[in-house]
Amino acid sequence: MLTSASAFVPSIGFGLVTASILALAAVGFTLQFGITNILNLAYGDLMTASAYIGWVVNQHGGSIAESLLAGAAFGAVSSVLLNRLVYTPFLRRGTGLFGMVIVTLSVGVMVQNALLAIGGATFFTYNFNVGATVHPLGFDLATSQLVIMAIAVGGMIVVQTLLTQTRLGKAMRATAANRSLAQASGIATERVVDAAWLISGVLCGLAGVVLVLNTTAFQSTTGSEFLVVIIAAAMLGGVGRPSGAMVGALVLGLVTEVSAAFVSPSYKELFAFIVLVIVLLVRPTGIFSQFAGGSRQVAA
Amino acid sequence: MSGWAFYATTLLVYLGVDIMAVWGLNLQYGVAGVYNFGFIVFQAVGAYVGAVLTLGPSSSNGGFQAYIIGANLPFPIPILAAGVVSGLLSVVVGVITLRRLRTDYQAMVFLVLSVAATLFVTNDTGLFNGPAGLSLIPQPLSSLVNPSSINWQWLYVGITAAFCIVIYLFVHRVTSSPLGRTLRAIRDNEDAARALGKDVMRMRLFIFVMGNVIAGISGAVLVQFIGAWSPGSWLYVETFVFFTAIIVGGTGNDAGVMLGALLVPVAFNEITRYLPQIGRPGLIDAIQWIVIGALALVFLWFWPRGVIPERRRRFARAPAPVETPTEAMQDTTYAIEGG
Repeated sequence: MLTSASAFVPSIGFGLVTASILALAAVGFTLQFGITNILNLAYGDLMTASAYIGWVVNQHGGSIAESLLAGAAFGAVSSVLLNRLVYTPFLRRGTGLFGMVIVTLSVGVMVQNALLAIGGATFFTYNFNVGATVHPLGFDLATSQLVIMAIAVGGMIVVQTLLTQTRLGKAMRATAANRSLAQASGIATERVVDAAWLISGVLCGLAGVVLVLNTTAFQSTTGSEFLVVIIAAAMLGGVGRPSGAMVGALVLGLVTEVSAAFVSPSYKELFAFIVLVIVLLVRPTGIFSQFAGGSRQVAA
Repeated sequence: MSGWAFYATTLLVYLGVDIMAVWGLNLQYGVAGVYNFGFIVFQAVGAYVGAVLTLGPSSSNGGFQAYIIGANLPFPIPILAAGVVSGLLSVVVGVITLRRLRTDYQAMVFLVLSVAATLFVTNDTGLFNGPAGLSLIPQPLSSLVNPSSINWQWLYVGITAAFCIVIYLFVHRVTSSPLGRTLRAIRDNEDAARALGKDVMRMRLFIFVMGNVIAGISGAVLVQFIGAWSPGSWLYVETFVFFTAIIVGGTGNDAGVMLGALLVPVAFNEITRYLPQIGRPGLIDAIQWIVIGALALVFLWFWPRGVIPERRRRFARAPAPVETPTEAMQDTTYAIEGG
């Protein structure tokens, strides 16, 4: 436990790395939730599964770039299939909001334990060189951590450009705001939903691989443990708002790592939770919500 | 022969504890529509409170485990206190989450709470002995009956059954009263219930606290029987097992969820105990979780109302015919025309 001021600057650096991983994951999570209204609790386990696929590629001599590609591809394909083969059929059958949460939780538990059954109750480690330690702005970061930050920044720029500058992005935002109105206006909402799962899956896969590149080892529960911080970041920014999730990720990344340096690493998730509770007490729908709030907000 | 008796009595206690828990969760979810994904936390709180009030000071037994309080209180005070503490904590949690948040936000906050609580208790070693958890918790009434005898086992089955009966009477009273009707109305159409002047927030908070008091009691009853409790006993997925039990048995139906408790946590976990260990260690556990997940999916697909569905409630008196607003408006128009 470090208490000197000299620990502060490096902890900011680690905070930015955590924020980068969290941003990839939280944007994917919140984008999909905003458009489909399905609270996908299997998200964390899909991250672990993507990391596992990346690990298999890595064990067969693949480079880290190939692992990242494999993870992203697996995340994308499995997310689209999961929606097409499981979630949409349940929705068509009339399963309600809560039933869908249980469906996603069931899928998550099954994916996690399938990994446990296939891979065993061990830690998996990627074979790779984290590179030289560099000190930009007084941080102590491995080259691999700089790469993680670059991937996240690149990913955020791509998502933001996609949402604000393209027709698909416009259609996605319209679908998120009001699905039936979007459909009535001639938007092929089914294809928009597919695109949302695809993009969310790519981010999920990337986040899964970079999460374990940063921690170097992972097990079958790694993703589902991280999901809690993802949810916190998404809620902080207002669920369904990708730009909000980016800010939420930044706040939580910094809070967890700075608190780890000054209080204790054991409590960093707890600090994330405390921040979430405080924000929700003040702004029940996230930091960026208007005071009038969403249409379904319960009057206090 | 006595081996079987020990096994049977142990199963009966587990069954009683699980039945209490699903009744508590069913009050929240099945009756009132509160999606408490952190239910297991309140069972855990009850278990820890029950444990530290039963245990002597932390320094006893050579001080091999660190924990707070250590009050050495006699049965049944620790169990009742567990319910009280669990209830007080729920008031705090409920006021924060139920008051202002949308239902899906609430579900997320409860899930986050569940994981954060596990991390907190695991990392704070001075509170409840950290990741190793508490053990050697004294068994109640051991001064009267030898706790390793079959008689004590049967005695504890009786104690568990007594708690079950008291909780059943309470749960039944809530669900069959006008209060239960209001709660179901809130579950089925929150806006309509509010329009009729029901205080949705207060009702939800009440049922949230009551369900968690039951969870706390069930946790304390369990911990006094098994004598040990650790963070591994209450991971967030354990709540999922209770939800599966409710869905399989019949959401909103007291008898149904009782059957669910028998089928899912008890029968399921115990059947697999006798499977030969195949493959690597932990493989059976993993398969068991996969099957529980599949069970929830299969029931939600084919029998979303469970084995024993919630019964349709009939009311003695048919509701009086209500004038629709359009008719009322037409009447006014005629009146104006007539005048």
